Amino acid sequence: MAPRPLQAAKVEGEPEIYETQNVHAIYDDIAAHFSSTRYKPWPIIANFLSSLTTGWVGLDSGTGNGKYLPLPLDRPGDVWTIGLDRSKNLLQIARKAGANGVVREVLVGNVLDNPWRPGVFDYAISIATIHHLSTHERRRSAVKRLLESVSPDHGRVLIYVWAIEQDELSKRRVVSEDDIPSLTGKDVVVPWVLSKELSSAEKSLSDGGPQEPQVYNRYYHMFAQGELRGLVIEAAAELGLQVASKPEDVPKNTRGVEIVHDGWERSNYYVELKLW
Amino acid sequence: MVRLLTHNILACHAKDCNTNNFPLEFKDVQLEIREAEFNPEFLKGFLPKLEWKALVDTAIQLGDTSLPLEQPEMLDDEFLKNLHHVLLEIHVEEGSMTCPNCKHVYPISNGIPNMLLAEHEIG
Repeated sequence: MAPRPLQAAKVEGEPEIYETQNVHAIYDDIAAHFSSTRYKPWPIIANFLSSLTTGWVGLDSGTGNGKYLPLPLDRPGDVWTIGLDRSKNLLQIARKAGANGVVREVLVGNVLDNPWRPGVFDYAISIATIHHLSTHERRRSAVKRLLESVSPDHGRVLIYVWAIEQDELSKRRVVSEDDIPSLTGKDVVVPWVLSKELSSAEKSLSDGGPQEPQVYNRYYHMFAQGELRGLVIEAAAELGLQVASKPEDVPKNTRGVEIVHDGWERSNYYVELKLW
Repeated sequence: MVRLLTHNILACHAKDCNTNNFPLEFKDVQLEIREAEFNPEFLKGFLPKLEWKALVDTAIQLGDTSLPLEQPEMLDDEFLKNLHHVLLEIHVEEGSMTCPNCKHVYPISNGIPNMLLAEHEIG
């Protein structure tokens, strides 16, 4: 199928209500079908999880079907990742993520909340989640919550979001050739054509005869180059964190965050952070 | 799932509820015991981050009295096996968790706690 341009999103009204209707409710309906298409961990994320110290406990903010909860596969149980998501239907799948019937720890929650002891986690990941928040302020708040959730001494954070620049493997195309590259990203809706066999929507259970497949338009903010790094810098400033590598002698009362890597991979922007 | 591993991490986050908001108190619980793979190295790494008193008190409340009131200096196999059981094998399937400070109730259903707040409770 040729890549097709995406329809622009019109974000209207209260952002919470907009996201409830255009993100959360949809994931509850498409949970089973969505999950069946999301099974392969991405290498950078798998490597990040493999590099963690034994005994660490982390947060997967926006865990979806929980595909990262069983990692690292080569040393299972050396770390525990707790999955948080707004979709109860996705969490029912996430709690059984991975092989061997191991039960995972999952919570219903909002990525803008912090229902835990401050800094209690050793690491946090947020994969393909922050792009579902419909304002710049809310996306920045989500980054702040991640920075606050991990240890100020050694906390590590990995964030992935969809990029405007989609590669040739993607079915999606956001920027047409004559578009000027955007600096502030782009609000779009991404259609999901729901397989009726895998519908999690309650209304489909009482269906009568054959119907057209249902199409759900999910809201996405597709990130521009440099935008994710910019969010991190803003969030760090609001938390009084310096954005720099850890100095050899840390001055008293100084805390910071190092941007370990950032880049573009397979139609996503990512950033890896380390607190000090 | 709410195992005591997770319970030891969670705190109330209702608006202006910043003190005495941990640990949340289990109520009307249904428990299930599921065996989990014993991983002493994980336990040793996680131990310094635990709020020990909260863990012991909550375990006692759920009927498990195997943990000492103070963290032992010697981490022998018996202690680690008891800790493993308390942290990773006791599942709270149904019930709720109440904030000791503001009394907000977080329900647990099908083993999944709901930490969402209503609009007016968000800080």
